[in-house]
Amino acid sequence: MWLLRRLGLAVLTLWLVSVLVFLATAALGDPVRAILGRDYDTNVGRREQLEAQLGVGDSIVTRYFDWLGGLLTGDLGTSLANQQPVWGQISDTVVNTLVLVLLAALVMIPLAFGIAMISAHFRRRRPDTVIQTILLALAGVPEFVTGILLVALFSTSVFNIFPAVTLVSPGTRPWDSPEGMVLPVATLVVAVTPYVSRIVRATLLEVLDSDYVELARLKGIPEPVVMRKHALLNAIVPGIQVVALQLAWLAGGVVLVETLFSYPGVGRQLVDSVRNHDVPMVQALSMIIAGVYIVVNLVADVLSILLTPRARTAISS
Amino acid sequence: MNRNQRPNPGLSRRQLLRYSGLGVAAVAGSGFLSACGGDDGGGGGGGGGGEQRTGGILIHGATGGGSKDTLDPHQPVQAADIARCCNLYEPLLFWNNNFELEPALAETVEPSQDAKTWTIKMREGVTFHNGKTVTANDAWLSIRRVANPKAPFSAGGQLSQIIDFQSSKVVDDTTLELVLNTPYAILDTLLAEYTLGIIPDGEFDPQNPVGTGAFAFKSFEVGKTSTFTKYADYWGDPAFVDELQIQDFADDNAKVNALQAGQIHTLDNLPYNLVDTIEGAGGGVLVAEGGQWVPFTMRVDQAPFDDVRVRQAFRLIVDRQAMIDQTLSGYGSLGNDLYAPLDTAYADDLPQREQDIDQAKSLLKAAGAEGLQVELFTGDDIGSVAVPAANLFAEQAKQAGVQVKVTKKTPFYDDDYLSYTFAQDFWNTRNYIPQAVVGTFPPEQGGTYNETHWDNEKHRELVSAAAREVDEVKRNDLLHQAQEIEYEEGGLIIWGFRQQVDAYASNVQGLEPSKYLPLGQYKFHKVSV
Repeated sequence: MWLLRRLGLAVLTLWLVSVLVFLATAALGDPVRAILGRDYDTNVGRREQLEAQLGVGDSIVTRYFDWLGGLLTGDLGTSLANQQPVWGQISDTVVNTLVLVLLAALVMIPLAFGIAMISAHFRRRRPDTVIQTILLALAGVPEFVTGILLVALFSTSVFNIFPAVTLVSPGTRPWDSPEGMVLPVATLVVAVTPYVSRIVRATLLEVLDSDYVELARLKGIPEPVVMRKHALLNAIVPGIQVVALQLAWLAGGVVLVETLFSYPGVGRQLVDSVRNHDVPMVQALSMIIAGVYIVVNLVADVLSILLTPRARTAISS
Repeated sequence: MNRNQRPNPGLSRRQLLRYSGLGVAAVAGSGFLSACGGDDGGGGGGGGGGEQRTGGILIHGATGGGSKDTLDPHQPVQAADIARCCNLYEPLLFWNNNFELEPALAETVEPSQDAKTWTIKMREGVTFHNGKTVTANDAWLSIRRVANPKAPFSAGGQLSQIIDFQSSKVVDDTTLELVLNTPYAILDTLLAEYTLGIIPDGEFDPQNPVGTGAFAFKSFEVGKTSTFTKYADYWGDPAFVDELQIQDFADDNAKVNALQAGQIHTLDNLPYNLVDTIEGAGGGVLVAEGGQWVPFTMRVDQAPFDDVRVRQAFRLIVDRQAMIDQTLSGYGSLGNDLYAPLDTAYADDLPQREQDIDQAKSLLKAAGAEGLQVELFTGDDIGSVAVPAANLFAEQAKQAGVQVKVTKKTPFYDDDYLSYTFAQDFWNTRNYIPQAVVGTFPPEQGGTYNETHWDNEKHRELVSAAAREVDEVKRNDLLHQAQEIEYEEGGLIIWGFRQQVDAYASNVQGLEPSKYLPLGQYKFHKVSV
């Protein structure tokens, strides 16, 4: 029941997003004029073709429902830039981006929790202070700066260990040459880990101060076990939430990283499409990013509920 | 990170014009076209000395590229497309690196006395990548595809209007006779465009593109990578490398990083601010003279510019070298208010106009325009050079007591374009005759982009007479007279021409600067790694 309501809310959100995406792309002005530039008046044939494709002339409501109908039946439309179906062009890049984000998550989650545990263990002593200072500094650096520094350090200026950009040979996937994935993943990890780590540390500290942890200690349970079993499990719920937030951010925020590393993912494609004023592509990509956002949050909510006994009981009753 | 050094690799109108110079007029279905005009002296150095090594894979990092990528020989859009085009396909004639015509798939292209009938003799023994021999019929059908009167491609705008499709004929396997409906003495320049590659039966198959170039098609992924193999039976000098890879780059930093990390061997359109970085890291920088220009346009039919003294005063206000230094980082050559610097007819004997504030002031005084206030329209969609140049002009005009209000429009190219009293525009380089027609003739006579509303019958007659004149000396004399008129009365302020800057890795040999296209016209068969 609860799950159904959550799903309903997710669908509602997605629908609202679709309205927003559509209105936003429609409000950007006349895409035909933007595409044709100074040829608008001279190239009548192309203008009429584009206008027919975009349904210029129909009311905005008609156009919205045409588009929504297509979206629901899996027809994302045709790209204005090259007249190819949108889905065929974005399916590969969506997978590429998901793999990049997942790899980053796989590295980031254990790393962030590990750092948080070490930090909490040494709380307010020298190691903790050092770790917190570094994390704060990293959190303050934008991810593209991190990326540029990593490239300078590991591929161009200092060492020449990893490739600076992801070059994908025809017929292969980016991860077929794993060394090319290292720097993009590392950049994302560095960008996201500080936030997660700091939240988890704060929660851990709160839990470590609580009565039941005190009791566990008094019962003589060794500190590592206290940390793992009693503290971490209870600190995990806020952790999941912040991980979800960060992953959702990554789904859209990889734009800069993908551009920097020439990684063939949705971010780069979105930038390209915006430059092309390729409205159907922009709409499709925005919806996919929004969809990922909503799904990740939904999963996080469900996980949080399952891991919180009190909430679990509340729902089942 | 000077991302704004060269915005929007890919889609901007500027790039479009730059790489398919003829595109605009062609699409418009009017206007004479051909490409490029010129300037003397190519700069830069390409590749080291010594014996060139054979074998290996050459990886080129191309600027731009994206979902619009195409392999079509006749409608390339971005730098990546042009690089592919130049290696797969070849036209009947080549522009060489010094912007002079050379035989290619045709051995000779000769006009009749009246310049109405042109005889094209094909080179014998040239084969397509599929093994078929190239015939005059292939050339004719390719020209017909490009010059289809209903929908001409970029190289075919002018051709579609002057070719008499009924009377032109394939005489035999090696002879094609093009009959024109009007004398046109520079038809050969139209046939030398890289966008007029010869393909079998004039049919383009996107799945299996076939041409005569030094590299044959292997694979193509839109917006990502394309690969080509050395064509063993190439009629010219065969390629040094076994395989060519062209990699699209949407971002300048990524491109330059890839070169520094040794992942690519060459890249086109290096941002000026990264020249030192590349040279410091041991790479090579290739600088070539070019002919792209961003003029100020003054409407000669509206006050205050309907007074020729005001126009000349404005031309004297500009500090041309400062424009080049500040908006092109010094990578430019001086302009003299004349276009087509690469054309042999370019009037380089006219005195170089320089900033002369006193003279400008007295001209303005004589015209009763002291303390003049004007609005200058500019916009980012003209190109990255435009807005800085406009602001700099406003600064320079202050010295002459002229107040210039710079108005940045988004977009610049809207319904007001071609109506602005004082504005800017972007042009790729082309030879004088086609440029004069498209830019200075009335719209109904082919002047699709006549920003200044220039309407000078004497000038027009000189240009038209030149287009009919087969003798080059006489033709250039007519064009010289035409240029003098524009030099004295025209509505364009042409302060400079942009140079082309590309880069290559230290192990790359064989690159030569070309005035025609970036990276030695992308002729990768001359390059070894």
